[in-house]
Amino acid sequence: MKMRRDTVTGIVGLLGCAFFLFMTQSIRQPAKLLEPGPRLLPYVAIALIAMSSVALLIQGYKDRAKEEKPYFPKGGVGKVTKSYLMLVVYAAAMTFLGFLITTPFATFAFIYDLKGVSKVKVVPAIIISILVTAGLYAMFVYGFQVKLPAGSLFE
Amino acid sequence: MSEYVNALMICLQPVNLLLIVAMVSLGIVFGAIPGLSATLGIALLLPVTFGLSTETSFVLLLAIWIGGVSGTFISAVLIGIPGSSSAIATCFDGFPMTKNGQAGKALGIGMTASFIGTVGSVALATVLSPVIAEFALHLGPWEYFSLCFCAITLIASLSKGNIFKGIMAAGIGLLMGCIGMDPINGATRFIFGNVYLSSGISTVAQMLGMFAMCQIIRDSAKGDTQMPEADVVNMKGLGVGLKDIFENIKTILFAFASGLWIGFLPGMGSGISNMVAYGYAKSISKDPESFGKGNPAGVWASETANNASLGGALIPMMALGIPGDGITAMLIAGLTIHGLQAGPLFMTEQPNLAMLIFACVMVSAIVTYLIQIVTKRWFPYILKVPYHYLYTVILVICYIGGYGISNTMFNIYVMLALCLLAVFMSVAGLPTSPLVLAFILSSKLERYFRQGISYAHGSYKEFFTRPISATLLLVSVFCVVWPFLSDYLKKKKAA
Repeated sequence: MKMRRDTVTGIVGLLGCAFFLFMTQSIRQPAKLLEPGPRLLPYVAIALIAMSSVALLIQGYKDRAKEEKPYFPKGGVGKVTKSYLMLVVYAAAMTFLGFLITTPFATFAFIYDLKGVSKVKVVPAIIISILVTAGLYAMFVYGFQVKLPAGSLFE
Repeated sequence: MSEYVNALMICLQPVNLLLIVAMVSLGIVFGAIPGLSATLGIALLLPVTFGLSTETSFVLLLAIWIGGVSGTFISAVLIGIPGSSSAIATCFDGFPMTKNGQAGKALGIGMTASFIGTVGSVALATVLSPVIAEFALHLGPWEYFSLCFCAITLIASLSKGNIFKGIMAAGIGLLMGCIGMDPINGATRFIFGNVYLSSGISTVAQMLGMFAMCQIIRDSAKGDTQMPEADVVNMKGLGVGLKDIFENIKTILFAFASGLWIGFLPGMGSGISNMVAYGYAKSISKDPESFGKGNPAGVWASETANNASLGGALIPMMALGIPGDGITAMLIAGLTIHGLQAGPLFMTEQPNLAMLIFACVMVSAIVTYLIQIVTKRWFPYILKVPYHYLYTVILVICYIGGYGISNTMFNIYVMLALCLLAVFMSVAGLPTSPLVLAFILSSKLERYFRQGISYAHGSYKEFFTRPISATLLLVSVFCVVWPFLSDYLKKKKAA
């Protein structure tokens, strides 16, 4: 039987709590403090997440027979994964090649990825990709004095 | 008073006025396009402010905020899709008015009501904030802790759907706030050996990853990137006169008062105030059946209330340093970027800057109204901007912003990780507002709590014996208990 989203959230929440509870033990606690010390807030946060996770597990169990509408439409999970991977690839490429080389390609790819059912012609998309890169570069570097990545291969 | 006049003069300097016009226009576009919002606009502008002066930065951020909040009625009226949750009730009568051939009048009401709501509420916020800040100076860490605690509890308990999801989101926000050095002893927490994490997670990276990037890839996957065509006629003139205002004066006054109060309360804001005001307008109407079919009173109520909430939210932000919603949390982050901390000390030690914020909001509201009057006939064209181009530009700006935080790629990866977290949270139905508020308030919450105990020589008693602190804690408990109590009472009544 497929697990409800509340149940999955509850399980992930509890696993996260266990991990952070373990990590909290390694926080250095100064001796002879009049106050609870640096472990207090992590404990409070973990307690809140754990309590909510248990409540969601119970909720998920209670509603187990109810039909649950999928969050994404058909093919949505694949699409969100593809879009996210594109973002990661863009970041990785930018680390090595810098903003100016990677951005026109990334912009072109994003336009096609986000177009949905709209029709996009290749030539205008290429022109827009180059213009967006040049425009944003000029605006941020010369206008707002914000540095942009040059790429570790060129630094 | 002299500080306010000086602040007005700064806003009216040609460069600043030009920036206000540009940012208000951009804000209107962001507000009008469903999916984009003032929140997103501010998130994208935060990195831009790194290299700018504090005054210029706030002119930019506040102008896009005002334009963005005001612009939400445009799509609600023209295509029946609200620009954000603050304009949901505007759709109920605004869109039917468009279908009845009264688009021009509906837009005119939206513009005028937004103007009345913003200007009135900001004027009150300007007067009230210094008084509240003066009072807040006499409060100790016990009261401040209880206030922060109350704000987080309120926003978590008012989250859509399930209170436990709100609490879980707040817990995640607190845990994220723990990353880095603790605010009292400087002990490092959850940095996993990464030196970049010792100063904590950047608020800008969080906003860009969790709001902008997440929204884009989520909307794209859900297929929410197509818009219906706006069918409009008769767009000439303002569409409303003084007579219309006087005919609806009772509705406007109630909407204003309720919007201001709801905006003041953390976690509520314009998303709720427009519905409350709409409900009231319907209840006092002699012709309630006409609501939902194009009654102008519905638009007056909704738009006055949601914009009045804006001034209401400014009061706790300025006087107490407590953000009422996601947008004011970002504005507080903007102050932090420039080494400032919102709150009573900010009001007393930086009166010029504090007044600049109020003056800038006021000037932006007036500029917004003027721009809307001039550009009203072109509103339908805003809704024709292709999403795939707009979203692409926003994504690239996110990367620029992420890099600009510390001139390293590290924050871009943090942004990507937070984007993934936000997508999972959306799927799980966890709201982001409690997370953002808890994250922003986490260091204050911890510092005041630990200071309170330290000052009382290890005693917790002061939190419960000081009247204001005890009252706020009681309100917090009530907020958590009330949804369960209310369910129980409903079931009992039904049985």
